[in-house]
Amino acid sequence: MTAFWNVLRVNTMMEFLELRRYKANTISLLLTFYIIFVGMMFGIQVVGDPAQASTNTQYVIVNYIFWYFGMMTLQSIGWTISDEAMKGTLEQLYMSPVKPWKILLSRLLGTIFNHFVLVVVLLFLSMATAGEWLNVNPVTIFPILVLTLAGMIGTSFIVAGMALVFKQINAFLQILQFIVAGLTFVPLSVAPFMVGAPFVKGVDMTRQIMIHGYTLADFSMGDYAWLIGNTVVYGIIGFVFYNACEKHAMQKGLLGHY
Amino acid sequence: MESIISVKGIYKSYKKRKSSEIFTAVNDLSFDVGKGEIVGLLGPNGAGKTTTIKTICGLLVPDQGSVTINGFDSLKDRDKALRHISAVLEGNRNIYWRLTVYENLVYFAGNRGVPKKDIRRKVDELLSLFQLQDKKDELVNNLSRGMQQKLAVSVAMLADTDVVLLDEPTLGLDVETGYEVRDLLRKIARDQGKTIIISTHDMPVVQDLCERTIIINAGKVVADERVEELLKLFETSAYQIELQEPLTDEQQTMLLAQFPIHQWEALTLKVNLDQEQDIFKLMDILKQNETPIETINRTEINFEQVFRKLVNEGVAS
Repeated sequence: MTAFWNVLRVNTMMEFLELRRYKANTISLLLTFYIIFVGMMFGIQVVGDPAQASTNTQYVIVNYIFWYFGMMTLQSIGWTISDEAMKGTLEQLYMSPVKPWKILLSRLLGTIFNHFVLVVVLLFLSMATAGEWLNVNPVTIFPILVLTLAGMIGTSFIVAGMALVFKQINAFLQILQFIVAGLTFVPLSVAPFMVGAPFVKGVDMTRQIMIHGYTLADFSMGDYAWLIGNTVVYGIIGFVFYNACEKHAMQKGLLGHY
Repeated sequence: MESIISVKGIYKSYKKRKSSEIFTAVNDLSFDVGKGEIVGLLGPNGAGKTTTIKTICGLLVPDQGSVTINGFDSLKDRDKALRHISAVLEGNRNIYWRLTVYENLVYFAGNRGVPKKDIRRKVDELLSLFQLQDKKDELVNNLSRGMQQKLAVSVAMLADTDVVLLDEPTLGLDVETGYEVRDLLRKIARDQGKTIIISTHDMPVVQDLCERTIIINAGKVVADERVEELLKLFETSAYQIELQEPLTDEQQTMLLAQFPIHQWEALTLKVNLDQEQDIFKLMDILKQNETPIETINRTEINFEQVFRKLVNEGVAS
């Protein structure tokens, strides 16, 4: 556990340094995110039904924030593996006595932690711009968010496995943005069959908390069962798939290739 | 000498891209490396060196055979085995160019699970040993190739493992920095008693640093000897003969047939003899046209010539 803590600490530091060192890139990322949000918000107010404008704006805020978070989480390890293979540092990561999946997990947790700070800033900026204040009670949101993120992390390990074998998966990562958009923007009330899709249940429950003011007690056992089941299933699928890909990459000598 | 690395009968083959042809990278390769030894792992391109190195590092799974490091199987006990080995695999590409020297050292130490309180002391020691203190806060991207290479080696040393594997540690360095890296490696081997495996094409490095050399060709060990033994084996039979007249075509044809390893430039003939008595055969060729001899000297053979001879002829030790 101590070893993992040390790995987590340096990987969080690494991600922070990256954001700080490439300040212009970080600022432009946030600006782009904000400008698109403002565009969507005005679109709702100009084109949409004025009676629904307030609710729609609230949905856009939550969905958009989760889309950003989902993209960051799902793409992060894929980019890391592809980038490190290209630069020549991937094999050095695999030379650590700490298991590679733990290093990748800590790199991902570092990314999530750093981007969480940015997401909170963006959330409040979006709410202030729209004049729509959502329920952001951390005690209610935190447990649901943690379980949702765990499912996202599991799914991201599927992407990591693919990156380890194929390396050049940039085109797939671009397409992934639209898949994540579909998973975060479409509410379960519209597409109930998506309840088994990665992290959809968690995003839906968070929406209920933030927009409709739900508390943890307002959710049924069925809701929790879907949420936990979703997280466990995608966690296991991600872990098993990644390990199979890692084994394949080591048998075929693909770790050092790009 | 107690063995710390044991490579036993490793075999690895790959299917060639866009064809069904199978390429055998290493074929029943076996050797042991003793504690504290400095071993040169040599071979021409495509000989199977990289496959061997990556198998030792646990980055590649062989089709057959096994590698143990300090008694731990590099696959079955990968985590334990990796506690005893560190490596510089791609020279200056093995470090993060967007981080500073200090940040790189802290990152790689932490990534091996080293606690924060132990990192600072180790990092300071290494910065001093590698004379990188002044560059501590410099981005790696802004360093010279030599400095980057020194940092890559210091990252490997930071792990404080029993075995350090260095792939081409002097590649791309200028002469002065090459000597500096060589001196550092010698100092580390002497003072810290580490087992060092160097894979290189830089023969003077092998001759200067390594006690023993393992030469691989076509996936097999073609020589596994102490460096001085290999040199001794060849130095008695290398001659340089200055002639007063050029050799005739007939003489050159006979030379090529009987002494494949020879050089003929202007009026100088350099030739390696397999046996001492072969000198008489050489004299017979010269006598045939009564070619006058100016001088005849035994030459000092260097390791590069030994390597070429072993690889070209596939002579087993």
